[in-house]
Formats: sequence, C-alpha cells, structure tokens
Amino acid sequence: MPTVRIRTASEYPDAAQKLFEMSKAWFAYEFPEPPAMSRVMAWDPEFGGPHGRAMKRAMGPGEFTRAEKEMIAAVVSGANACRY
Amino acid sequence: MKEDALWYEAAYVVGVTNALNVVADGLPADVLPPVSEAAAHAETRAVIDAIRTFYGEVPAPFLTIAHDPRYLGDLWAAIRHAFDDGRLTRRLKEALAFAVSLTTRSSFGTRLHAAQLRRLGVGEGGVMEVVGVAQMFSSYTKIADTLQLTSDMGDIAPADPAPAPGGRVARPSTVRLRRERR
Repeated sequence: MPTVRIRTASEYPDAAQKLFEMSKAWFAYEFPEPPAMSRVMAWDPEFGGPHGRAMKRAMGPGEFTRAEKEMIAAVVSGANACRY
Repeated sequence: MKEDALWYEAAYVVGVTNALNVVADGLPADVLPPVSEAAAHAETRAVIDAIRTFYGEVPAPFLTIAHDPRYLGDLWAAIRHAFDDGRLTRRLKEALAFAVSLTTRSSFGTRLHAAQLRRLGVGEGGVMEVVGVAQMFSSYTKIADTLQLTSDMGDIAPADPAPAPGGRVARPSTVRLRRERR
C-alpha cells in the first residue's frame, strides 16, 4: 500500500499531461494510467523534469544500447531489493 | 530482451558476482589468508592459470577459496560459464557485474569489473553510461520504496512461452498463470 495516494492522471495540471505523453512514448506502451513512478515524478516538475532528463540521458544509446541499459537498470533495481 | 533465457544469464552473473564480492570485501585476510600459488597443488595451479587467462589477473578471492581446490574448481567452472559469451555478450555481463558491484558498494567488484570492461574495449564514456544507469535507478528505486509503490510495469513485456532448455512447451494455461503471479 503506497505511503501516499497516487493521483490519477486527470488530477494533474495540463503541463503534467505532456510529461505523461512522453512517458508513454518512452515505454512504447499504452498504459491505462501513466505508471505510478511517472505520476510521482510529475508531482513536482522542478524535481521530476531534470531528474527525468538525466534518466533519459543515462538510458539513451551510446556505447551500450537502450536494451542493454534496461537490463543494467533491472539488475541495479534487484541489487537495491526494489520490487517496483 | 524479451526472452527469459537472457534474464537467467543476467541473474547467474549477478549471483556469482555477489559471491566473489562477499569474500573479497567481507572476509578479512587474517581470517583465511590467500593460498600461495607456488605452494598450491598442480590441479589448483591449473585452475588459477585459467582464471589468470580469463581476467588477465587473479582476483584475490580465488586465492582465498583455493584452500579447498575442489570447491575452487567447481565455483570457477560456474563463474566462467556465467561470464562467457552466451546469449548475452561477456561485455554486457561485465557491465552488469560492474553495476551490481557499484550498487552494493563493493570496491573490489567495482574495480575488477571496470578493469574488465576496459579490457573488452569499453571507453570512459561507456563506463560513465553504466555509472549513470546505476545512479538513476538507485534513485528511482529508493523513491519507489520510500513511497511503497507497487509495480505497475509487469505487463509491458509478455511472458515468454518457451520451455526450459531441453524441456517441453507448457500448456497455455500454465504460461498465463505465471504471468498473473508477477
């Protein structure tokens, strides 16, 4: 059970809807609601915006592909014992 | 990365990486001093030579566990298999091991696998890419845990219906059941 009530996308301002569209494009998946993490990061755009840009830069293709980086991210999440 | 076979390989790499790191970072040398190569049995020296060929050095934990040559031989066989090119490349496996070592604060593992990445041709930029991914997902995971978020990403990738190697294809109902448990 989350510590906070995760708001539905409709409870966010228009500016956040753009972030949700970007999130959908990033995952290339039609979510019924944006992922909870996207909605958490959209709560404060002054945090979520630069954090999201840093994430996209880190995950973008370079010497490692996006797919390889997704696997690296998964093992890091496992090492952090995070089920999300 | 849709096939489960890739994830089994990744999991094996993470497991044996952690196994080496635990001994390297957690076991004081005065508790179990490393075996002297010169004094080791011929069979043990052969394993150590194989380790040196693979890494270009002999990582310290192997000399610690060489007190039990059969254990060393079996663990090395497992590690060698886990890190060899398979469905995943050795290069990606070293990146996974580097990321896990960094995340678990293993200075031994972080140094070893960074050195291996460089031996395999990964530049500073590539090492920084792995650092960036490890750092970002160490941030996301702690935000998720602090807010106790429950996963809502499990349906992005479909379940892999392939059987275990050499096994039989499962009935569709079994595959569905497994996905529902995610």
